[in-house]
Amino acid sequence: MPARTSVSAMRAFLADRRVPVVAFVLLLLVLPLIPPFNRQDFTRYLVVAVFMAAQAVAFDFTAGYINVVNFGFAAFVGLGGYTSGLLAANYGLSPWIGIFVGALAAGLLGLLTGALTLRLRGIYAAVMAWFVGLALMGIVRNWADVTRGSLGLNVPLFFASSDNLPYYYVILAMLLVTLLVLALVIRSHLGLAFRAIGQNVQAARASGINPTRYLVINFTLSSAFAGLLGGFYAHYYGILTPDVMLTSRTVEVLAIAYIGGRGSLWGGAVIAIPLGIGVELLRIQFSDLPGIHLVLYGILLILVMIYRPAGVAGFLRGLDARLRRGGSAAHEGE
Amino acid sequence: MTSALNPQTVPLARRLLSFTWITIGIAVLVTVVVGINYPSILVSTLATGGMWALMAGGLALVFGVMNIPNFAHGEFFMIGSLASFTVFTPIQNELLEHPSTLLLVLGPFPGMILAALVGAAVGVVMEVFLFRPLRRRSRDQWVMNTFLLTAGISVVLVNGNQLLFGNDFRGITRYWDVPPLQVLGVSVAVDRALVFIIALITIALFSVFLRSTRTGRAMRAVSQDETGAQMVGIDLNRIFMLTLGLSCGLASLAGASLLFMFPSYPSVGVQPLYLAWYVVILAGLGNVQGAVVGAFIVALLQTLTVYFIGVGWVDVLPTAFIIFILLFKPSGLFGSEVKGVWEQ
Repeated sequence: MPARTSVSAMRAFLADRRVPVVAFVLLLLVLPLIPPFNRQDFTRYLVVAVFMAAQAVAFDFTAGYINVVNFGFAAFVGLGGYTSGLLAANYGLSPWIGIFVGALAAGLLGLLTGALTLRLRGIYAAVMAWFVGLALMGIVRNWADVTRGSLGLNVPLFFASSDNLPYYYVILAMLLVTLLVLALVIRSHLGLAFRAIGQNVQAARASGINPTRYLVINFTLSSAFAGLLGGFYAHYYGILTPDVMLTSRTVEVLAIAYIGGRGSLWGGAVIAIPLGIGVELLRIQFSDLPGIHLVLYGILLILVMIYRPAGVAGFLRGLDARLRRGGSAAHEGE
Repeated sequence: MTSALNPQTVPLARRLLSFTWITIGIAVLVTVVVGINYPSILVSTLATGGMWALMAGGLALVFGVMNIPNFAHGEFFMIGSLASFTVFTPIQNELLEHPSTLLLVLGPFPGMILAALVGAAVGVVMEVFLFRPLRRRSRDQWVMNTFLLTAGISVVLVNGNQLLFGNDFRGITRYWDVPPLQVLGVSVAVDRALVFIIALITIALFSVFLRSTRTGRAMRAVSQDETGAQMVGIDLNRIFMLTLGLSCGLASLAGASLLFMFPSYPSVGVQPLYLAWYVVILAGLGNVQGAVVGAFIVALLQTLTVYFIGVGWVDVLPTAFIIFILLFKPSGLFGSEVKGVWEQ
């Protein structure tokens, strides 16, 4: 009897939604202190992985909920980075303030792009956002007097020391804030409207929702977070080239967001950590084969799009549902 | 693909004053004025415009018939340029050792034809192994899902090429090693002239195929009403396979033909991809005829930008132009009514 109660207590514990969240956050907090992740190179992989995770969350906020894919996402990230970087390099503005100015700039561009394109069908908005991104990259590349073009802009760093650990906690804080804010928005009445529009625009319109307004709010928010993360990128690497805005960077984020599971926010964040580290290790293992990690991302994206549209989040949700149904269901199989 | 400009319903004067015709008129005027003063711009515009028409026509066709916004379309340009380079280089060497007029004239064609065939084959493989399974599973959010799927395909093709063949530029200076032609006192590179002619012939064949053959008509039927087409006995799977094969083959032919301007390397398809997309957005998604006209407008914009402002601004100005157009005509210049069947 006591064994049985402990099993059901265990099951109740596992079924509590707060448990995995707390476990995930705790794991991320202590991860860089555990070997081998306490080595500088591994901490750097972690920084990159968490940066990708945060981008995937901001990306999924539009792609997964209103079903508009921002193909110019990397350009919004780059705009935030360049804004903050230029302010810091030319006017000595503190990066800690600059990243928010960068977020504002990216948010403004998102507002403009969204207001212009989101009245149209989703595919137009996706393609136009891509064009805006290409144009932005063209401007940055050619306006060399200001941006130094392809030579690269040197940007002051957040911290004087080159230790990766403080950067890790900065980007982790950014990831958690992004997740928290966007999840709260999704839980509010805004989120309900987003879902309604993402599933069926006509039906949403019929029930009194003005789609364009909500679409623009969503797009602007996501762009602003992209800009904020771009600020981190600028002050972490210390050098910015127009290549941060390449479409292939968007596709990388997009792949992680969709492999993680669209419309979950956390799916991309969860999968980005192991995937990001795995990809870095793969890159080092096959340093003579550049681009192998992108082939992997591409193949995973293709497979997920065809066979597992719900991604890793869908898989984990299924697991969760099984836990809830109790032990007998676990043996039934599918 | 119904003619968006229906002459019966709108008076001629209003038709000519419409935004679309004003834009086309300005484009023609600019072409003529610039062409007289700077003939080389005219030649470049025609040569690239013809090939962008092949790219954009195929892109529009696939969207019209299959509702797939193909983000991997540029990769077929890349496949075409690689295939043609591989075939043409030994022919070129042979030609250097044993000059012969026949080989000089016909040498470039095997590469181009093979490129088109390889591109078409990869397109068919894509349809059978990727789009068909997805279609069978679910058609929810089909347009956006296939857009992402093709983004994945694009990444795999670009980086797969880089893994297999490395990051080198594989280019040729010219296909036909002959002195430039003199047309009305203007020297015109033979390659550019012939590429324009190849484009014209292909567009003509393509349009005859769509208009007058049973298969072409079946394609247009599917693009207008998929269920209706199925009811009258059209085999959808066959049409989809042919459509994607044709579209990808045309893109590969464009890549092969422009090898002398765009040396083959893994990401050579990026610029043709977004130029083709500029055209398709400008003309209206799924509108094949509009895409052919739009291609020349975009080629003109592109060439003018390169000549007068700078190569790097090619990405910036056409975008500004398209945003401007879309402010007035959200559905594109030719306001295509071809709408995604699987969209709400």
